[in-house]
Parts: sequence; structure tokens; C-alpha cells
Amino acid sequence: MDEFDENKSKQLRPGLWATVNERYPGSMITKSDFVPLAKLKKPLPESRLTFVSTAGVQPKNSLPFDTVHPVGDYTFRRVPSKSKPEDLEIHQLKYPTVGAERDLNVIFPIERLQELAEEKIIGSLSPNFFSFIGYNMNPEMLEEKLAKDIAEAVEAEGSDVALLAPA
Amino acid sequence: MSLQYLKEAVSGSDTEKLIRYVRLHFGDGNEAAGKQEIDKAWIEALKLLLDVPATDREFILNILTEKDAATLAHLFFHLHFYFVERSGEWIHDGRV
Repeated sequence: MDEFDENKSKQLRPGLWATVNERYPGSMITKSDFVPLAKLKKPLPESRLTFVSTAGVQPKNSLPFDTVHPVGDYTFRRVPSKSKPEDLEIHQLKYPTVGAERDLNVIFPIERLQELAEEKIIGSLSPNFFSFIGYNMNPEMLEEKLAKDIAEAVEAEGSDVALLAPA
Repeated sequence: MSLQYLKEAVSGSDTEKLIRYVRLHFGDGNEAAGKQEIDKAWIEALKLLLDVPATDREFILNILTEKDAATLAHLFFHLHFYFVERSGEWIHDGRV
């Protein structure tokens, strides 16, 4: 077994996704409408990129995400894209954060994105990135409130590209 | 949809579905772990009262009188996690 395969076998929660409806009954979303992905309007080196994450990352001293509520938290936090990992903290219970606490970039790759912008592989970063927690058990509120709120905030910052990353 | 699933359980008095949901929440998707977490929180709370220390009953009674039931329910969930964390056995970050 090579090193890659060995690491794969150490996955903390193998097969997790397949069990989601068993773990959170009734939570699976079925969508009848299809929203196609938007195409890039200009090359990436000329585009402003934002980052949207469910990792529960937020600036220190901001109101912690509500990780205890049984139905979830439908708010988001702005994370300044110039932040350093030590300016940020994680409030999230539903994924093991031990690795991200050692290196935030494994779940919230802020330094990697800053490097890509410095190297002009990405044109620029939006002033803020956007973060929320993924434990949201009311899909209607997730879609009608939280997703819309984030979409408006992303648009207001003139982003051309949004990188979406589930935790 | 999850909320609909729970509301139907409430209207049908399906208590097993409801408590299972709570256990899954507390156990991060693992029902058996969630059941242990509930026990852990109650044991931790009980331990703190065995020596009958002075407590601020006036505060407690004021809170129960002044705050609405939803706020108290939300507080109840906070208290669960508070006592679990206080127990020193925190399962939610992947260390245990």
C-alpha cells in the first residue's frame, strides 16, 4: 500500500455521506428545478474571487455561531480576506476540527487564496469571504434566507467568481 | 424536509422520532453517542449539587419567570453542551 492509500484508510469518518439521511432523518433535499453553473465572464487572472465556506470559521470576538440550536443557525459571518489564521476561530460541532486547528487552511484555505492572488493566478480577492455552519436542518430557511443573504453580500462586493467549499 | 418531519412527529406524538433527533444532534449523527452525551450532562449537573452549595435561586426564578419558553428551550440546549464540556470528555472536535 503506498502512502496515498494509507492516508485514505485513515479517513476519520469513512462512508459518512452515505449515511446522512440515517443520521439526520428527513434532511435530504430533493430539487426539481435545475440551476446551471454560471460561466466565467472573464479570465481568472482578471476576476475578483470570493470564498464561501460552511466551516464555521469567523473572526475572533465576533458573535459565535449557534452550534447548539437543534434546527441550526441561519446567519453568516464576513471574514476579511486579508485575515491571518490567528485572527480567526472555528465555531462548529459537526466535523472534527482538530486538524483545522493545527492548520486552518485544510478547511478554510485563506492563505492559499492570498498566495494565488499575489501570484496573479487570481485577479484579486473580494474584501470579505463568507462563512456559516453547515448544520441547518430547515432547507427552506437555508435557501430562502441564508443563501439569499450571502448571495446579496457576494454581489455587493463585486465578485466575479465564488469558490464554494463544504466542510 | 427535516422540519416537516419533526412537525409531523410532534402532531403524531411520535416521541421516539423526536428524542432520536435530539440524540443524533448531541451525538453528531451517532444516536448511541448522543444518548451517552445526555447522561453525561445530567451526571455532571448532579455532581455539582451533591454538596448542596449555595446557588443563586433568585436568578433562576427570575429567569424562569421573565424569559419566554423558546429562549429557555434554547438555554436548555446551551446548558447541555456546557455541562458536557465541563465533564472534560468532549467528543465534538475529533480528539476523543
